[in-house]
Amino acid sequence: MDDALIAVALLLVAATATAAVATRDPVHQALVLSLLGVALALLFTVLQAPDVALSQLAVGSALTPLLLLLSVRKVWRRRQRQGRTE
Amino acid sequence: MWGVATGPLRRRAVAQNLSTTLGCPVLLLLAQGYDRPSYVDVALVLALLGPIGTLVFARLLAEDLDEDPPRAQALTWAAAGFAAAVVLAVCVATEPGRAMVKLLVTGALLIGGNLVASRALARGMPTAEERHG
Amino acid sequence: MSRRVRLWILSAGGTGLAVLLVVACFQLPGFGGDQHPYGDRAVRESLARRTANTVASVNFDQRAFDTLGEMTILFSAVLGTVVLLRQTRDEHRAKPAPAQVAVPVRRYALVTLPVALLTGLYVIAHGQLSPGGGFQGGVVAATALHLLYLGADYRALEWIRPVGLYEVGDALSASAYLVLGLAGVLAGTAFLANTLLSYGTFNTLSSGGAVPLLNAAIGMEVACAAVVLLARFLDQAVEIEESGKTGKTGKSGE
Repeated sequence: MDDALIAVALLLVAATATAAVATRDPVHQALVLSLLGVALALLFTVLQAPDVALSQLAVGSALTPLLLLLSVRKVWRRRQRQGRTE
Repeated sequence: MWGVATGPLRRRAVAQNLSTTLGCPVLLLLAQGYDRPSYVDVALVLALLGPIGTLVFARLLAEDLDEDPPRAQALTWAAAGFAAAVVLAVCVATEPGRAMVKLLVTGALLIGGNLVASRALARGMPTAEERHG
Repeated sequence: MSRRVRLWILSAGGTGLAVLLVVACFQLPGFGGDQHPYGDRAVRESLARRTANTVASVNFDQRAFDTLGEMTILFSAVLGTVVLLRQTRDEHRAKPAPAQVAVPVRRYALVTLPVALLTGLYVIAHGQLSPGGGFQGGVVAATALHLLYLGADYRALEWIRPVGLYEVGDALSASAYLVLGLAGVLAGTAFLANTLLSYGTFNTLSSGGAVPLLNAAIGMEVACAAVVLLARFLDQAVEIEESGKTGKTGKSGE
C-alpha cells in the first residue's frame, strides 16, 4: 500500500515536471510550476519527509509564482514602452 | 493536471486553484493514514498558502483574465464539498482537543480560501464604476 | 589553450569522476532496508538532547555549522539581488495608481493575514517539536505580509513594510545566529555547541537547549530576507521606470 502511494506520487511528479518543461510561455509555466510544487509536496509527505514538504509548499505556492510573474510583467512593460516610443 | 497544461488561460487558473483544494484533503487523509497528527501542519500551511497563490495569479494576470473570465462554479463547489467531507471524516476520527481545533481551522481556511480565490478569478478586479458597491 | 585541449582535459576529468562514482555505487548499502547506522546515531543523539524533531536536531544542533552556511547563502543571494535590482541613475520612481480590489478578497485578506502570521510564528516556535522550523515558518510569515499587497494595493504594503527596517532585521538576525554560536566558544566549548542551556523536558516548547533560539534567529532572518527580496522585485515591477520616456504608462499601478 505504501509502495503504491509512492508510485502514484512519483508518476504525478514526473508528468507535471514534463508538462512544466514542455510549456513555453512563462505565464503558463508559472501555473504549471505551482501545480508541480503541490505534487512535490505530496511526494515528500508520502516519503515521510514532512519538513521538506513544508519547505516546498512555503516556497513554491506563493513566492515562486510571484517572482516569476513580476519579472514577466517588468519585461512586458519595458517592451511595451519601447514599442510605443519608436 | 491536464487542465493546467493545456487550454486557455482561464481554464489553467481554475485548475491551479483546484489543485490546492484537492491536494489539501489528500494531505489530511495521509496524516490520518500514517497516524501522524503532525502532518496536519503541512495541510494547514497548504490551506493558507494555496489560496494566496491563486490570488497572486488573479492579481497579476488581471488584465488577461478580464477578457476571458473563467467560469467553473460546479467544479468549485464540488471540490469544496469534497474538502468539507474529508475534514469532517478526519475530525470524527480524532478526539477533541488541540488537534481538532487545528483540523477545523485548516478546513475553514481551505474552503474559505478556495471560494474567495475562485471568485477573484471569476469576477476579476472590478472597474471604477463598480467599485462603490 | 585551444579548444581541443580543453575538451580533452574535460573528458579526462569526466571519465575519472564517472569511474569513481560507479565504484562508489557498487559499495553502497542496499536501498531501503532496516540498517541505518547514521540514522540510528542521529536519532539517539537527538533524543539524548531531548529534541523531539530529529531533523531540527540535526539541522540546528548536530550540524548547526552547515545551517550557518545555508543562512549565509540566503543572505548573500538576497544581497546580490538587492544590488542588481536597485534603482539606477537612469530610472525614476513613479507612484503606482491605487488598485481596486473586490470586497470579499479584501475581507479575506484582512482575516487571513493575522492567521497566516500566527501560523508562521507557530511553525517557527514548534520547530523542535513538529515538522517545520525556522526556514519554513519564516517564509510563511513573509508571504503572510504580502497578503496586504494582494488584498489591498501597493501603498498599503509599503506602509507596513519600511524596507530599511527589514534589511536591518535581516542583518541583525544573521548576526544573532553567529552570536549564539560564539557564546559556545566564550563558554569554553566548541562553536555552536549545544551545551549551555538546559535541555528541558521532552516535547515542550523549551526543550532542546539552544535549538529553539537558533530556530527563532533563522526564522527572523528568512522572513526578513524574503520580504526584502520581494520588495525589490515589486519595486522594479510596479514603481521603477526608465527616465526619458514621456508620461506614465497607462497601467503603471497595481
